Amino acid sequence: MFLLVLACSFSSCEKDDICDASTITTPRLVISFYDFNNPSELKSVTDLTIIGEGMTEGVTYSSSTLVNGSTVSIPLKTDADATSYSFILNYGNSDATVVNQDELKFNYSRQNIFVSRACGFKTEFTLDPTTAFVHTDAAVADAKWIEYIAVKESSITNENETHLEIYF
Amino acid sequence: MLIATAQETTPVKPAPKNNKTEEGVLPANSFKEAKAVPKPIAKDTISPPKTNRYGLRVGADLYKLTRGLYDKDYKGIELVADYRLSKKYYLAAELGSENKTTDDTRLNSTAKGSYLKAGFDYNAYENWLDMENILSIGMRYGFSSFSQQLNTYKIYNANPYFGEVAPITSGEKYSGLSASWIEVVAGLKAKVFNNVFVGFSFQFKKLVSNKKPDNFDNLYIPGFNRTYNGDFGVGFNYSVSYFIPIYKKKVIPVTPAKKPGPKK
Repeated sequence: MFLLVLACSFSSCEKDDICDASTITTPRLVISFYDFNNPSELKSVTDLTIIGEGMTEGVTYSSSTLVNGSTVSIPLKTDADATSYSFILNYGNSDATVVNQDELKFNYSRQNIFVSRACGFKTEFTLDPTTAFVHTDAAVADAKWIEYIAVKESSITNENETHLEIYF
Repeated sequence: MLIATAQETTPVKPAPKNNKTEEGVLPANSFKEAKAVPKPIAKDTISPPKTNRYGLRVGADLYKLTRGLYDKDYKGIELVADYRLSKKYYLAAELGSENKTTDDTRLNSTAKGSYLKAGFDYNAYENWLDMENILSIGMRYGFSSFSQQLNTYKIYNANPYFGEVAPITSGEKYSGLSASWIEVVAGLKAKVFNNVFVGFSFQFKKLVSNKKPDNFDNLYIPGFNRTYNGDFGVGFNYSVSYFIPIYKKKVIPVTPAKKPGPKK
């Protein structure tokens, strides 16, 4: 009995030492895609790959970097106030004419919030009120595929809501 | 009938035999021993008269003192004291100070502060003759006043696409923190020589109040120790103490025999 208690207090066998997966920690930026011609309708992207600046591999979703759907969540840097991504539509398509790359830079402020002993801290983001994003075409100009971007929720605290709307 | 007769016969038969043998042996031995025989008969052999010493016992927790020698993240001292109120009850208190750095996988923080615990111990051990050992169960109310410093922390990111970020150095200090708790103490104290006692105790604690800092938690509370999710805590101490006798009380065989009856 004594040894068990002692072992618990020293080797920390309590379950509060493992950060539970259901705990809300650092949230990602949730983007929803809409039809530019029919703004109330969600529109699915095809083989979208999102590659962070300076990265070689795209953000992976269930072991694939290709996104096919109307919503996507992307991680923001927790050690910088801006994160740049390349949004490449029809990535890897043999028909080079349908492949289109746009650049998006997100500007935000960060706040580190205490979660628990096991999880440590999390970072919450607030998109910059004046310049939340900078949208540019790829270095090799191929005309922008994104027509319009709207900030839906500037404070990024969880992944249950859409923060950014992209119309194309 | 059979049992009754059996009971009657058995004590009667060995008794005279014993008396006879004793009477036979004793005169053969020295005269002193022969004289000593009537004394225990005159006395009440079940509860011989004894004196209970009352006084103040003061000491220190060696576990906390020595831990500082091998654990660079810990410095602490605890003074212990108890005062005997009655045959079984002791007023007990502990006064301590701790400086503990807690190094968790995602957080490193230092708690510094002092605490006072006060309550009572109930001695459940029936001592023989003039023994003064204590096997106790007791309760305490503890209060701690402390500060915390967050040294480093890590950001938990379930999607470390840009790689794990290095721990962030904070150095932020949270002062004016406090906590109070109740604890159940199970302890043992044994007289090793003269008035010197060694003992140890285990404490099970439950927080009553806990003033946490903004955007951080009290991961370690001096006196309470490490905090868990459910407000519970555990503690251990190993003390060496010195008993300062103040007065003695004679235990009259008749009265203590009567007293436990109505009490229970």
